[in-house]
Amino acid sequence: MAPSPQTIGEFSVLPISIPPVPSFPRNVVHYLYVRRNAPKIPTANDSRSLFLANVPVDSTELHLRALFASLVGAGRFESASFEDERKEAEAVAAALDAAPAQAVRLLAAHGKKRKREDQEAVERAEEEAAARLPSTWTRPLRKSGSTAVVLLADEKSVQQVLKAIAKVHKSKKYPTWGGEGNVVSERVPQLGSIWLKAHNQLSYPDRDQLQAAVDAFSTMFTRREREAAEIAKRLRNEPDEDGFVTVTRGGRSAPATRNEAEEAKKMMIEKAEKKKQEMTDFYRFQMRERKKAEQEELVKRFEEDRQKLDAMRQKRGRFVPEA
Amino acid sequence: MEPGSAKRRKIGHSRGESAVGNIDAAASSGLSRGRAFILEAEELLDQVKLDYATALEGVDSLLHKIKGSIEAIEAHDALQIAEAATKLEKKHKIQIPFPEPRPSDKSNYKVAFAKPSQFNVVGSYVSKTMIKAQKSHAVDMVVVIPGETLQEKDYLDLRYLYKRAYFLGVVAAALQKDLADDGELSYEYLNGNPLSPILSLKPKVEGEKKEGRLDYRVRIIPCAPDALFPKSKLHLGATLVRKAGGDESKAATKPTPFYNSTVASESCFFPYLKLLRQTEKKCAAFKKACILGRVWLQQRGLGSDMADGGFGHFEWAVLLALLLQSGDNTRGHAPLSTSLSATQLFKAMVQFLSVTNLSEKPCVLGTATLESGTAGPVLFDSVRGLNVAFKMSNWSAAKLHQHAKWTRSLLNDSTADQFTPTFILKADLPWQNYDLITHLNYDGKQDKTQPIDCRGRVWEYSDKVHRVLKRALQDEELGERARSIHIQLPKSSSWDLTKKSSTKQNHTIEIGVLFNAANMTRAVDRGPAAGPSNEEKEECAKFQRFWGEKSELRRFEGDSIRETLIWSSTSSFDLCEEIMRYILKLHLRVGYLEDELTFHGDGFTELIPIKPTDTSVFNAARKAFSSFEKDIRNLDDMPLHVRQIAPICPELRHASVKVPFSTVTKSGPRPLECVISFEASGKWPESIVAIQRTKIAFLRMIGDLLERSKPGEVRTYVGLESSTTTNTELENLAYLDVVYESGPAFRLRIHSDLEEALLTRQSHDKTIDQHHRHQASVLLSNFRRLYNHLPLHTQSINTFATRFPAFSPTIRLLKHWFSAHKLSSHFTPDFIELVALQTFLSPYPWDAPSSPSIGLLRALLFLSRWDWRSEPLIVDTNGDMPSSKRSAIATRLEAWRKIDPLMNHTVLFVATAQESSGVAYTTVNGVAQPSKVVAARMTALAKTACRVIREEGVELDARRLFVPSTKEYDVLLHLSAKSLKSASKVYPSEDLTSTTKSSAGNSRYKNLSTHATEDPLPLPTSPIDSLFEKLEQVYGSGSSAPLVFFRGGEDEKVVGAIWNPTLSRRGFKVNLGTSYKPVGAGKKRKGDDEDGEEAGGEVMVEVNRDAILSEIARVGGELVERIEVQRE
Repeated sequence: MAPSPQTIGEFSVLPISIPPVPSFPRNVVHYLYVRRNAPKIPTANDSRSLFLANVPVDSTELHLRALFASLVGAGRFESASFEDERKEAEAVAAALDAAPAQAVRLLAAHGKKRKREDQEAVERAEEEAAARLPSTWTRPLRKSGSTAVVLLADEKSVQQVLKAIAKVHKSKKYPTWGGEGNVVSERVPQLGSIWLKAHNQLSYPDRDQLQAAVDAFSTMFTRREREAAEIAKRLRNEPDEDGFVTVTRGGRSAPATRNEAEEAKKMMIEKAEKKKQEMTDFYRFQMRERKKAEQEELVKRFEEDRQKLDAMRQKRGRFVPEA
Repeated sequence: MEPGSAKRRKIGHSRGESAVGNIDAAASSGLSRGRAFILEAEELLDQVKLDYATALEGVDSLLHKIKGSIEAIEAHDALQIAEAATKLEKKHKIQIPFPEPRPSDKSNYKVAFAKPSQFNVVGSYVSKTMIKAQKSHAVDMVVVIPGETLQEKDYLDLRYLYKRAYFLGVVAAALQKDLADDGELSYEYLNGNPLSPILSLKPKVEGEKKEGRLDYRVRIIPCAPDALFPKSKLHLGATLVRKAGGDESKAATKPTPFYNSTVASESCFFPYLKLLRQTEKKCAAFKKACILGRVWLQQRGLGSDMADGGFGHFEWAVLLALLLQSGDNTRGHAPLSTSLSATQLFKAMVQFLSVTNLSEKPCVLGTATLESGTAGPVLFDSVRGLNVAFKMSNWSAAKLHQHAKWTRSLLNDSTADQFTPTFILKADLPWQNYDLITHLNYDGKQDKTQPIDCRGRVWEYSDKVHRVLKRALQDEELGERARSIHIQLPKSSSWDLTKKSSTKQNHTIEIGVLFNAANMTRAVDRGPAAGPSNEEKEECAKFQRFWGEKSELRRFEGDSIRETLIWSSTSSFDLCEEIMRYILKLHLRVGYLEDELTFHGDGFTELIPIKPTDTSVFNAARKAFSSFEKDIRNLDDMPLHVRQIAPICPELRHASVKVPFSTVTKSGPRPLECVISFEASGKWPESIVAIQRTKIAFLRMIGDLLERSKPGEVRTYVGLESSTTTNTELENLAYLDVVYESGPAFRLRIHSDLEEALLTRQSHDKTIDQHHRHQASVLLSNFRRLYNHLPLHTQSINTFATRFPAFSPTIRLLKHWFSAHKLSSHFTPDFIELVALQTFLSPYPWDAPSSPSIGLLRALLFLSRWDWRSEPLIVDTNGDMPSSKRSAIATRLEAWRKIDPLMNHTVLFVATAQESSGVAYTTVNGVAQPSKVVAARMTALAKTACRVIREEGVELDARRLFVPSTKEYDVLLHLSAKSLKSASKVYPSEDLTSTTKSSAGNSRYKNLSTHATEDPLPLPTSPIDSLFEKLEQVYGSGSSAPLVFFRGGEDEKVVGAIWNPTLSRRGFKVNLGTSYKPVGAGKKRKGDDEDGEEAGGEVMVEVNRDAILSEIARVGGELVERIEVQRE
């Protein structure tokens, strides 16, 4: 095998040797692409974190910890966050947050942003965590080719890691996945059949635990809904910056739900349609025009058939009886 | 407007009461609907047209040469037949093809030879109605035996035929001498008729064969002069072979219709030639209609040859000519107008043949009256006094009738593609037509009966077999078991001039039976009631005589005592075999020897295996479901009223490969899936997330209520599905598993209509971003599939399973085929069911299948011919889909193809009456199921299967269609059966979640002791499904996935995988979607740090295949026993 290049673009290539597995007894090299973390929206920890691309699908934080320990020694690795975990967390938070959709919409329409106090944010996060449904897997898998961000102890460690990677290429001693002797696998939940069996078990979570999550959610939801209703109510009577009052559907007590609004609209359309239908074939010219249109349609269809046939003729052999 | 409309109006008023009269109207009304049919038929006529100049090059000069040669033969005076024959045979070393029984040496007949009085070329060469695709091409030349060498009384006792044979012998001798260089001479029977041998000359081809030249032959047919024999003597009831063979003392008295018609036909060549020429002149479309008829007959295996049924192009042409001409019972009008077009004439003919069963009621064209009681099919031309259908047998008449009926129903179905099944499809493959095929070895030496009607012993024997079987299997009193019984006779072949015609004694007779699926499974036949009246007694005696000792008296409910037959078999096939073996043994003494009778056709049902009791198991599952439904409905304290509980899984619609509850013992309970919907309520929260949470609470409550109402009888579990998208909160994840102690288990999901409304709104909401909109539309389509389509689909499949007894086993066989070829993971079960359904709802050119094997083969035929790139599959489940809806569906497909020409999102397009979007059955989680690659593989496999079916014919080994080929796969994953088994049973208290290996390992041993009393948890999905779902989630599915897995059913231990060829070497970027490895670019810079940046632009990456396989090995753990790389 040709020696691998040390860098690709701004990434350093970190080859990892993967020990053979009984069912696939080959020595395999996996390539991790590493660079300094530089997200579009900078955060405080960027200087001491590394961006990893193409993490193996069975990665866990322990795996990465072991990997960095073998590169720069223990104690430098702080934590890792994986791309899909991050995405999922964001999506879930968004879903839970956006729950009473109307409130958000109304606020957005009004050009106001909810300002959250830090304290409130923490509370919300706690609330959301309690409301989340339990996972059904003991160990998540990463999407193939996905990324992760690793937080190291300090800026110096980042330097050292990158240097160590360069050294790895020279020495040809690639770090082993799962640490020497695969020590990590002893400490993370097993994959394979145990993992699937555990999934079977976790698919049926404890009833009380489930109920607690549901309850937590519903308290949160009702509260937010109430808040939203209040906002909506307030907004009905409150002129905006330009002095206009938004007109919303509904009675005095509360604005109508979107559903009701939609149904009303549907009914209106139906009414209009019905009225239109009553008026067809009322005048003679309508009938004549309709017939003419029908005839034209026939001619058109005939032409279409002809064209289709021509197309079929292009595919030769269609018209020869099978032997 | 169309050109044909003016004509139609003109003839529109012609009406008649009889079947013959009606066909005119039927034909004319067909035009407006079948516009495409007309155009396609025109195209077909164009394509099959023969270029006579090149195809039959040199035939004219050859014909002249033959004529000259025959004219030059020296005439001689009458000689004793034996003497003349010996002389001729010795001199020219040829045999005279005397028909059986040969003239005895002592006979006094005298034969002479004189110059033929007339030569002429007849048949389709003159009328130019030959087509390219014909099996063999022949130019017919008739030579009229001069009247002076014949006598009027020669029609008796084969005398004319002996003289004819002698005449032919002389001609053969002369031609052999003169035309030895021009071609090869041999004898053959005219249309397989053993009474009329003819001479055939196959011209030699000099030099290279030209493009388009056919292997034709010239047939020299001697015939009698017109009006030599009195027509009145040759009527069908006459006994004209009075001295049977050499045994002159024994006089036979039975009528000899076949012999009579053969002799009569000998003098009809010219009258028919005249008739056809006249009709051609009168009716412009006649020739074309004849060509269409020829194609239609040929595709159904019908032909003029006796072995092909005795109804071919000639008979078609004559019948059509007669219908166009004669003024008969419809007040002097011709039944058909000469101004009809070719397709109209064709349709009229099909209509005519579909209402006239020649073998049941003699059909007379003209004014003649026939004596009743003539056996066999009759199509009598009164003017020429000939039974045109004399070469037909009862079974071929039935076959013709049946095919005409089928084609008529096709031509009446304006929505189906009428053209392809009518003319293009080969409709006579044995396994597409018959549910059971028997080979009967006929031994002529054993048969001592003397044939009277000169049709040959095999034929008479077969006729007897047919009569017996017809009575046994098609008795209307008992309830017709078979829709058709067909007998295929061996074909006669040509033979050398120097040899006698083949006297082979042993023949194999092929009997095909098409079941009537509703009646064939009947194990008890109730015959006539035993009563005191004479009539009843006679009936019983007749019944007993036919059925022998099998018939016994039994008392039934309502105190009726009847003659009864009790059969011991259970499946249709075995029953039919049992009855056939019994009755043939009884009446014909066959079946005593081991290999005398062999039965084919049950190979398919043995594969799964399909048992006759399966229906009751499926019904038991349905019953268990209804009692489950009742339990839920009976629950008190439900906050909402239950509107409906609908099943959605294949087990509850007679469609799973394995019968329900068959796997319970090996694994945890496998719940049958259903959905529950409630009355409309405003209480659902207006948020999808909140709805999902409410559902969980709701399910939990239902579970608690159930457990409380039936303590000890049922266990319930609230489960969570593993999500398929990143946003777990929006999806419907919760379900309730209800496990009954008695065995059945059900999975319940809740339907909320508000959820659909919210998702619809989101997917159309322009204010939210593209990604979320897409996500909402995916969720929406999943929602609709689960709660709208599947319940309806289940309902309709159940209806059809009751309507067509062969439907359920057909689905199961087809599913088995898909999984044997490792395709089933790529197809939704409902799609496969719809494919099977299509062969029942649109079975053209046949009728709906009556056994699973026919169903499977036709489904494969459909798959092999389905051009899914441009055609939608429209399954008309209600039977009344308007054509406007069909064209809308077709337009939608066109639109999809325009948007997505590479077929990344939409591949197979399947629409039904309930679901016309076309993608509901072939899209799961927003991804096309199957992808284009897999769909193409399906078509290729179906094509191969159909080729095998065609090549193997009757001897087809069912197993061959199910042998998977693994050599196409790049990688094979061998799964461990043991681990899978252990993974499919999990106990609630097992400690599986702890992180360390040791404790997890220990728990395995622990469960042996502690879980003995505990009930295992139900299976969310089978472990192998879970594993591969997870893998597909990790590596992606669709066109960007590096690896495509092919796996069959759960029992399949080998999973194939193919590397995606489109993922080639490419430049590096973050998020390539799979594991890549760098490959050295053009310039290699070892350890050159400075140039790293620059080189980076050139360094390419490619899929790191080994790393991916290693990951799979690690994820699969001990489930994956071995990963075999077949190709790097």
